[in-house]
Amino acid sequence: MSTENPYAQYHVVKQGDTLSKIAEEYYGDKMLYPKIFEANKDILQDPNKIKPGQKLRIP
Amino acid sequence: MRFAKIFVALAATTTLMLAGCASQKEPAEKAVAQVESSVAEFRADAEKYAADELQKIDASIGKLKNSLANKDYSMVVKAAPSLNSTIASLKASVAAKKADAEATMAAATAEWTDLSAKVPQMVEAIQSRVDTLGKSRKLPANLDKAKWETVKTDFETMKTQWTDATTQFATGQADAAVRKAREVKAKGDQILSQLGMTPNA
Repeated sequence: MSTENPYAQYHVVKQGDTLSKIAEEYYGDKMLYPKIFEANKDILQDPNKIKPGQKLRIP
Repeated sequence: MRFAKIFVALAATTTLMLAGCASQKEPAEKAVAQVESSVAEFRADAEKYAADELQKIDASIGKLKNSLANKDYSMVVKAAPSLNSTIASLKASVAAKKADAEATMAAATAEWTDLSAKVPQMVEAIQSRVDTLGKSRKLPANLDKAKWETVKTDFETMKTQWTDATTQFATGQADAAVRKAREVKAKGDQILSQLGMTPNA
């Protein structure tokens, strides 16, 4: 999805967040965390390393 | 002698009458030509925006031409001014209707331009989420099974309606296309809300 899409959804990482927790919140399934990682490869190098304040696109 | 005098009088009267008729022939012909030329200037627009009124004027022109053919020149000269006045009124009315129609089309086109940028983006965002949720083993907390089924059905309807709207616009039905596009966007907003997706635009 184009980053200019005004309907693109984002999650701002909070303390204690993990990609699997975020996946569970938005998709109901922790195991879909690779979807979020793939969509944010421009800012994430490791799916286990996310920082508070990072703005992640949620496809 | 008396018959000769009557004959001369009759001949003189006839000559005068013929001269009078002949002197009105050219004005009558000019009057008919002018009436036809006036209508020709805006006939195409009149056919589009005031077909019934144009038909009535054509009927009046027909009667005028019949009078001309029957050499009733004074009738033509007498009737032409009133017909010209009717034609002038119709011309003004047609111009106003045309301006109105063009303004409506311009507004519809502008709104379409906006919606045709937003709706596909909306569809893309929803499609992405629907595809991902379709792979999920469970649904997120904000979405139960019934709502999820409704979302999927509504989304398919939304995509079909968008295709219809696009076709309508492509075939010159700008007004209808915009009305449908508004409905599509409203449905998209509803789906976004059901999915817990915040519209940003």
